[in-house]
Amino acid sequence: MPQTNNNNIIQKAITLTNDVQEVPRLNAFVDEVCEEHGCDMETTMRMNLAIEEAVVNVIDYAYPPDTVGSVDIKVTTDDNHMEFVISDSGTPFDPTKKEDVDISLPVEERRIGGLGIHLVKQLMDKISYERKDGRNVLTLIKNK
Amino acid sequence: MNTRFEEKDGQYIMYFEGRLDTAAAAKTEQEMKVLHECEGHDIVLDCSQMEYISSSGLRLFLGLLKIAKSKGSKVTISGMNDSLKQVFAMTGFTHLFDFS
Repeated sequence: MPQTNNNNIIQKAITLTNDVQEVPRLNAFVDEVCEEHGCDMETTMRMNLAIEEAVVNVIDYAYPPDTVGSVDIKVTTDDNHMEFVISDSGTPFDPTKKEDVDISLPVEERRIGGLGIHLVKQLMDKISYERKDGRNVLTLIKNK
Repeated sequence: MNTRFEEKDGQYIMYFEGRLDTAAAAKTEQEMKVLHECEGHDIVLDCSQMEYISSSGLRLFLGLLKIAKSKGSKVTISGMNDSLKQVFAMTGFTHLFDFS
């Protein structure tokens, strides 16, 4: 894919607390990023879904129950892709390690969990996790 | 997310309007409990005004389907737009539910 001049680099960031009621604020942030990046409605919805799923995983699992913690989301977009880096200072947690969901099972055998990371993997082109300086760092990339 | 329940011709119909994201899931879960007493009734989930669903919402739908199936009730999803159907397809939900 030919690289254009990266003249249209956008960088934005937001910090949320580990509360699912923050999701609408996250949604507004992703909407803003996607609008500036020139995404159509379908892509915007898919980005919202992937980022919500990844961030909610952090909200649910990174910090012990009844602990207030924060989730940082940093976005960099250019002509070729969108990169979201989601980080937190909670317990080590690699969401990519979760075993794959079997989506062919009949309803009686379908388990309730695991759908979130499954959707992230379906929707994003690249996912990577690292533990760095005491933080979980999850990088999600969507190519244009 | 706003829901509305209606019983019509022996069917239990729930209308979903708006976004079923993680923030809305707990309230929607409570509102869907009325559908659990579905012996002798088929269920229609009218999603024509649903704009968005994430995994918390998918979990609610799957949970309802498991209960309904155990009671012999059919669950039909009506009016779902193509974007949301794609989310259902990604998670294998398109072969679990009937669509109209």
